[in-house]
Amino acid sequence: MTDTAVKANDISVLEISGITKTFDDKVVLDGVSLTVARGQTVCLLGPSGSGKSTLLRCVNWLERPDQGTVLLCGERIGMRKGGVVPMGNAELARLRMRMGTVFQHFNLWPHLTVLQNIIEAPVHVQKRRRDEVIAEAEALLENVGLADKRDAFPSRLSGGQKQRVGIARALAMKPELLLFDEPTSALDPELVGEVIAVMKSLSQAGSTMLVVTHEMGFARETADKVVLMDGGRIVEQGDPEQFFGNPRTERARQFLQRYVSA
Amino acid sequence: MTFNAFLSLLHGAGVTISVSLAGIALGVPFGLALALLRWQRVPLLAPLATVYVSLLRSTPAVTLCLLIFFALPVIGIEIDALSAAVATLTLNTAAFNCEIWRSGLMNFSRDQIEAARTFGMSGPLTFRRIIFPQLWRTCLPSLVNEMTLLIKSSTAIAVIGVAEITRAAIRIGAQTYDPLPPMLVATGIYIVLVLVFVGLQRFTERVYGHAGGAA
Repeated sequence: MTDTAVKANDISVLEISGITKTFDDKVVLDGVSLTVARGQTVCLLGPSGSGKSTLLRCVNWLERPDQGTVLLCGERIGMRKGGVVPMGNAELARLRMRMGTVFQHFNLWPHLTVLQNIIEAPVHVQKRRRDEVIAEAEALLENVGLADKRDAFPSRLSGGQKQRVGIARALAMKPELLLFDEPTSALDPELVGEVIAVMKSLSQAGSTMLVVTHEMGFARETADKVVLMDGGRIVEQGDPEQFFGNPRTERARQFLQRYVSA
Repeated sequence: MTFNAFLSLLHGAGVTISVSLAGIALGVPFGLALALLRWQRVPLLAPLATVYVSLLRSTPAVTLCLLIFFALPVIGIEIDALSAAVATLTLNTAAFNCEIWRSGLMNFSRDQIEAARTFGMSGPLTFRRIIFPQLWRTCLPSLVNEMTLLIKSSTAIAVIGVAEITRAAIRIGAQTYDPLPPMLVATGIYIVLVLVFVGLQRFTERVYGHAGGAA
């Protein structure tokens, strides 16, 4: 299910170019460009405040970049053709629907059961048939090992279980791109493994993923490309073998040293 | 106190209940509409809602009632006493309900709204499916509190001749020269009404309260 020769020639699922974002006087993103090809898992690493999460928020236009473009499968996000007129909410929603987001703090809807959380957007936004969506949601829950929690409310789940529901909810939209915003940072250490395992299997199954993470093990074993950000710029990017084994930049060496010694 | 006097008190209770229920039925959604205008910072309408709330909150119900009943005809709007009574209670309670809804909206989880947005949900859909089902649960105790205040302040409509509980009691007292019994009965009726509302609130919380708590 990984990249075949045909797919290698496909247009990039995500193409970010020259993104700049300033909050007040602080430059948070300073000309960031990045592509994610179909089936690739790209891990965004970097110290807190380096702009990783803001970059992710620019991808689904929760944050509007000052400059630069984001293309999802060749379609520009946030701006209409010509690049001057901002998109309306409906157009934006249609593009966002094609990306699934997994949040650091899960952001499940507490008044809905696990199953209802998963089918909410497919049924009410994508307007797909309810019985069909339920069947898919049950299969997804099976995949993330939570079939028995189908009718539980989120407040009854552990952090790891919540995040696995969060992943199932994102997958239920059948997205072309999965965005993970520090999916394990809010978890107890012993719950990180179960979420990482689900993400690994997704990656191996050929999902296209952009992952902001501090899990170096995951990045090393799973990523097709590792990107290190610092101070709103990309410092180094490359394949994980080379990045972890023999980083090219001094900054990357420093960064990795801190994680190895920690 | 004669049986007839008791009947007229009961009739007064019927008027209080129906006028209050009408005020609640109209004032709660109206207050929500005002709160949404302010929460969404709708240009022009949001500042108008703010002014409305400040004015109505500082106008006594009696004054408002007189204003509606006697001043509206001056500008050519004829209104009967019962409609004026319902309008008074609606306009008054809407201002307070607006503040209750608004504080619920302001405290609503931004994370949940953001999740809805990233899943392509529109504003109205997010409100209907995500916000409102949780909002009414958190606002219910304050709303019921405001409802009980409305029932008790509804006696203001007596000033334009609507025979609600208190007015009926005063009339009976004046006829019999013995105000204590009708006043005691009137007080008893108010207490029962308020207890019923609080009971309904408890019941609703027990039946629908399961989905609270943080995600």
